[in-house]
Amino acid sequence: MQTPTQLNLAFAALADPTRRAILARLAQGEATVTELAKPFGLRQPTISKHLHVLEDAGLIRQSRDAQSRPRHLVVGGPLKEVDAWLRPFREQWEGRFNNLDSYLKKISKK
Amino acid sequence: MLSNEHTKTTIDRNNFTITFRRSFEAPREQVFEAWTQPEHIKHWWDPSGVPLSECVVDLRPGGAFKFTNKDSAHSPPFAGVYKMIEPPSKLVFEALGSLGTVQLESTNGSTDMTVSIRCGSAEHLEQFLKLGVHEGTALTLDNLVRYVGKSRQQVAS
Repeated sequence: MQTPTQLNLAFAALADPTRRAILARLAQGEATVTELAKPFGLRQPTISKHLHVLEDAGLIRQSRDAQSRPRHLVVGGPLKEVDAWLRPFREQWEGRFNNLDSYLKKISKK
Repeated sequence: MLSNEHTKTTIDRNNFTITFRRSFEAPREQVFEAWTQPEHIKHWWDPSGVPLSECVVDLRPGGAFKFTNKDSAHSPPFAGVYKMIEPPSKLVFEALGSLGTVQLESTNGSTDMTVSIRCGSAEHLEQFLKLGVHEGTALTLDNLVRYVGKSRQQVAS
């Protein structure tokens, strides 16, 4: 992540459950607006709005070659950096809770 | 939503809150004691598993605590003030400028724990998270899929 603004855009984009679901779908392969709209039961303009937010955050991109312009995930983009940024923090707490788990097991045996 | 096999993590950017959820096979009284008594805390607090070199606890609202690990040259002590103490279900503290809430629920002899850390602002959340950063980590697409995996389950259901 280069600047806080980019990080903010990425987090704002990730804050919405529909947009996270769209990313999850795109993590499995590219998809057109029609294909994305269907499983969510949303109208195309609504999906398009979400896609714009994701595009502005640099999380997804449009393929230029096909007429249907399918969206795809930007591999190595902000999402990767968001995860990289969070990971040490997450690992710290997970390590702590793993210890707590072992410790509780140990003292309950006494 | 991020998760390993035990701990579930969520980030609510709108409330500047990070939440961890985890279950323990222990009664919640015991989990609460583990969170509030220095002779217990010092054995599990440091992520490395090395006991704390110092653990000071003044367990009352407004009382201070300070957890210092052996490697304090590289990571600062976790210090703060208790805000609310409601055994055996709730503990609220302020530390590093953030509000931490520990909630414990009993389920058939085991305990569901929810730990949330709320920061004052988006910038603060960012700073707080950075305190946990030791080094940059190269990541794979697997992490990404795991990151959004929870959303996918929600869509499927």
